[in-house]
Amino acid sequence: MGGTRILREFRFRLNGEEVSVKAPPAYTLLEALRYVMHLTGTKDGCSTGDCGACTVLLDGRAVHSCLTLIAQVEGREVITVEGVGENIPAAYAEEGAVQCGYCTPGLVTASAALLKQNPKPTVDEIKEALRGNLCRCTGYVKIIKAVQRASGDV
Amino acid sequence: MTAELRWVGKNIARRDAFEKATGSAKFASDMFPENLLYVFTLRSRYPHAIIRRIDVSKAEKMPGVVGVYTHRDIPNNRFGVFHKDRPVLCDDRVRYIGDPVALVAAESREEGQEALNAIEVVYEPLPVVTDPVEAMGPSTIKIHDHGNICRQTRITRGDVEDGLSKSDTVVENTYRTPAQIHAYLETEAGISYIDEQGRITVVAGGQSPYRDHHEIVSTLNLPPEKVRVIIPHVGGAFGGKDDISVQIHLALVTMKTGRPARLVWTREESTIAGTKRHPSIVKMRTGASKDGVLLANDVEIIYDTGAYAGLGPAVLDVAIENCNGPYKIPNIDIKAWLVYTNNHFASAFRGFGAPQVMFAMEQQMDQLAEKLGLDPIEFRLRNALRRGDVAVFGNKLETSVGIVQCLEKARQHPLWRERQAAKQEKTLPWIRRGVGVAAAIKGYTLGALPDKGRVAIELRMDGGFTVKGSFTEIGQGVVQAIAQLAAELLHTSLDKIEVVFADTGKTPDTSVTSASRQLFLAGNALKDAVAKMGERIKSAAKILLRREVESLTLSEEHVVVDKGEMLDYRVVARVLEESGLGREVVGEFDVPRVDPIPGSLEIPHLFYMFGVALAAVEVNTMTGAVNVTHIVNIADVGKVVNPQTLTGQLEGAAAQAAGYALFEDAKIEDGILKTTNLSTYLIPSIKDVGVIEAVPVEDHEEAGPLGAKGIGEIGFIPVAPAIANAVYDAVGVRPLALPMTPEKVYWLIKRRI
Amino acid sequence: MLALGDVEVYSPRTVGEALEILRRRAGSLRVIAGGTDLVVQLKTGAARWRELLNIYGLDELRYIKYVDGEVKIGALTDFTTIHESPIVKSTAPVLAQAAFEIGSYQIMNKASIGGNIVNASPAADSLPALYVLEAVLKLETLDGFRTVPVKEFYKGYKMLDMRSDELLTEVSYRALGDGWVGEFFKHGLRRGDAIAVVNGAVLLKWNSVDGVVEDARVALGAVAPTVVRAVECEKMLRGSRLDEKTIRECSEAVLTSISPIDDVRGSAAYRREMCVNYVYMTLWSLARRLGM
Repeated sequence: MGGTRILREFRFRLNGEEVSVKAPPAYTLLEALRYVMHLTGTKDGCSTGDCGACTVLLDGRAVHSCLTLIAQVEGREVITVEGVGENIPAAYAEEGAVQCGYCTPGLVTASAALLKQNPKPTVDEIKEALRGNLCRCTGYVKIIKAVQRASGDV
Repeated sequence: MTAELRWVGKNIARRDAFEKATGSAKFASDMFPENLLYVFTLRSRYPHAIIRRIDVSKAEKMPGVVGVYTHRDIPNNRFGVFHKDRPVLCDDRVRYIGDPVALVAAESREEGQEALNAIEVVYEPLPVVTDPVEAMGPSTIKIHDHGNICRQTRITRGDVEDGLSKSDTVVENTYRTPAQIHAYLETEAGISYIDEQGRITVVAGGQSPYRDHHEIVSTLNLPPEKVRVIIPHVGGAFGGKDDISVQIHLALVTMKTGRPARLVWTREESTIAGTKRHPSIVKMRTGASKDGVLLANDVEIIYDTGAYAGLGPAVLDVAIENCNGPYKIPNIDIKAWLVYTNNHFASAFRGFGAPQVMFAMEQQMDQLAEKLGLDPIEFRLRNALRRGDVAVFGNKLETSVGIVQCLEKARQHPLWRERQAAKQEKTLPWIRRGVGVAAAIKGYTLGALPDKGRVAIELRMDGGFTVKGSFTEIGQGVVQAIAQLAAELLHTSLDKIEVVFADTGKTPDTSVTSASRQLFLAGNALKDAVAKMGERIKSAAKILLRREVESLTLSEEHVVVDKGEMLDYRVVARVLEESGLGREVVGEFDVPRVDPIPGSLEIPHLFYMFGVALAAVEVNTMTGAVNVTHIVNIADVGKVVNPQTLTGQLEGAAAQAAGYALFEDAKIEDGILKTTNLSTYLIPSIKDVGVIEAVPVEDHEEAGPLGAKGIGEIGFIPVAPAIANAVYDAVGVRPLALPMTPEKVYWLIKRRI
Repeated sequence: MLALGDVEVYSPRTVGEALEILRRRAGSLRVIAGGTDLVVQLKTGAARWRELLNIYGLDELRYIKYVDGEVKIGALTDFTTIHESPIVKSTAPVLAQAAFEIGSYQIMNKASIGGNIVNASPAADSLPALYVLEAVLKLETLDGFRTVPVKEFYKGYKMLDMRSDELLTEVSYRALGDGWVGEFFKHGLRRGDAIAVVNGAVLLKWNSVDGVVEDARVALGAVAPTVVRAVECEKMLRGSRLDEKTIRECSEAVLTSISPIDDVRGSAAYRREMCVNYVYMTLWSLARRLGM
């Protein structure tokens, strides 16, 4: 690790635990997660905020970690796919909503944000909540079913 | 099938689904070996230019830079499946804007970026060839020494002019389709390192570890046993990872430095440099009698393969084989050209040449039906192929043909039956509704090209089985399907089956994962392996029982011999191990084929998939926006191995094809791609697809494992023409070009008024 | 995608601190709020800055207040908060609507109204709503503040009436009284998240006693270097009965106010048609709502 890189320490809560991460302040949270911490559950599909694969929860709300500077999470609460629990991933798996699986962690966290706010969403509400998450494999049909399953509406 | 199936046909959650959903499954882009080097690619600044000089001296000396590589570091700088026309790193020329010119390997990303900017390349720009028709002209600059026509051929049968003259109605049109970008969520990515056996190991997203292995070995002049290729979970491929992307570059860096390396293309790199679907110009003159019988089809196909051949020659063949649709037509004349340009690099993409020609043919069918006053499905039924029929190339269809069942399903569907009533429902004054239908055919396997694969089964010491094959898990669920098939054929429980896939160090060559054929190919090789495993277990039984063994049945807990002796699998395994007979067998399957017809590479296939799609649209005549409210995707799949996976493939294909039909506008101007990210190149989001119904039809294929056929591609092919036919039904204008963007549809409607 | 390992980031905790850094480093640094536009620009190299002033932590700039008929929104307020705010919904539904069209929830949750204004894309979705609300921007420095009506803030394409030591801290508008109805429109190339090909907002003050339009405000985006008010269209609407003929003619009248260009998302000709058609559809819809 050389070059003229600036390194700072950032303290925040990650998946329920206090962590301290050393990274350049202008690295994105996504870069810090993947390159510095090797927490690769959160995926990089575009780095421009267009695909949602990098979705994490920041203070309980879904955001693109690729558009969030690590400096911006200081003192805040971050939840990644590693911290949303097994209920939603299991629902996705059971409903056959996982094909290549690369978009899935982003969908799982976005679904977690939705279900926390709205435990029994309608199909339209699910679509609005997930409109920022692109999937190239599934056609979204089973994704909607997965969220319904996770919400208990089997 | 008389016996009740235990695993095949059952809706079981995929074994890789949960770990993918929790984020714990590792893709190639998730791998960060210790002490790795970050690799960056310097790409061409021009769509077409001579390279006068490449100066890496400054870059090499920069801090953190371990190596800078050019064509001078490549022993054999040309590779390719059909033509060895593609350089690992460009030497004489650059032929499209994504062409790779140099590589930097550095300790950090920042240092690699800096070094990339310090590489000096002197180019001499050349005229850019953008029009495939012009490209074929005598005075246009040659992109390759052998000229700009990569392949051309003509296949005829009967007398097309005679057939057309005898037709009561003839429809003639020219159709155009653009490049389509795969836009998988995981870009081209991989790592490389020297493994514990001293092998240069590449772990990268791809579709055939053995083919990747071959390309690495031949370009870098390495002994085959010194290279290993592994393909882990791939974040989407759809044919876009069929060609080499990062693999040789990674192997080169590790070869030169001895260190692990990581190369992940940015989204922008992927959209620019990655392969694409061939853009097309398809001209058709199709004639039919007043009784609704197709008499002749005169077809001209021009596919733009861009800078390199890639799999283009086969793509052209598929276009030729399928351009007449799933119909009997006695007189055909197909002229086809595969042309080089500087627009991009086109190769495999789900459908592999069929979607473009079916976009044309299925609209021809609708236009003929309209002129003849026939119902569109009735007209198709009158001409549809049935088992035993002679198809357009004179080939008799002796295998499963399910098109009639698919058409009947479409005809009975409420979406079709109630389409006129749906139009009358109240809505905003500027909205028009329509419903369209389209059919599709595609051969699966490699047709007349030799195609064989091997699958191994190992009896583990714990009594379970491990299936090994080089098929790749690109999202289609082949690993799960193979596991279910194996459990079925071995009469055991699913949790006793492990599957190891896509590793040249561990799995035999099951050939490429493409052409919708892994289930068929690997499944049949698996059947052979099961039979061989039976024989092997028999040998173990002979040793254990010290006598000849007549018959053997496999059951979940035991091997049952002759009159009922039960042997424990773990005991059998130990015997095989100690006796030296070995616990592993290899099954093989050679795909049945016939010789190709003159002028073709792989026509005819012996095995075909069929499908029909219905699409319902709402067109906003004030904006041109087409909203697809409902797609019914019907496919003849032989036998459903896993319903979730099957319907998932049909649903996903429908959405991807809706994108091809409506939103995906890869704008290439003067050889420069303008839509380089997912904000300008729009693929369907969850709000862009309405109801999608997947309807499998099971017309049993005897040659298939338990009757199964291919499924990966057929769901894609009929959807764009079904939507086009629906748009015509709604607003009376015919979209002869894709994509049917709001602006394009708007002008079509306005000009007509 | 550039790794920005050598970019310095200052993260002040108070507005005062921020203004102080801004004064000291004016011209060398770029302010970053939610970052949903700027991070992309920085990582693609479209914008190159060695120093960033990260104001994302300034919670004192997150508020929506109703004071004496005026609604004041802190510049860091995110679009989800704006979209769901009872104050905004009741005083300016057109802004609540626009906030939803900004993008996906991931974007809405992070992007700030201040950032959207300063990024100054002519296609920014909040702007047509702010134009018809005749919103006022508050710009602060260490020495004090000044206010600028939103339409005077934009001098040309991405040219702002803003000094390098100024920080946008608040957006405010007068709450619309009774009789006003409005709608925001946006044409994207798909139903999912998309940058606008054209967008706009229409506000009408309806005199239900006489059945006429008393006042009209029409703002159009993505069809000129800045957002514009469709002055001719507004003139024709005032005093009209909102019948079919008027709606048609008023929509056509927007053409005098716009000068769209060709770009990767659409041709100028198409944008002209869409501008007219969307204003038509919006007026038609408003007329319906008013019982016409």
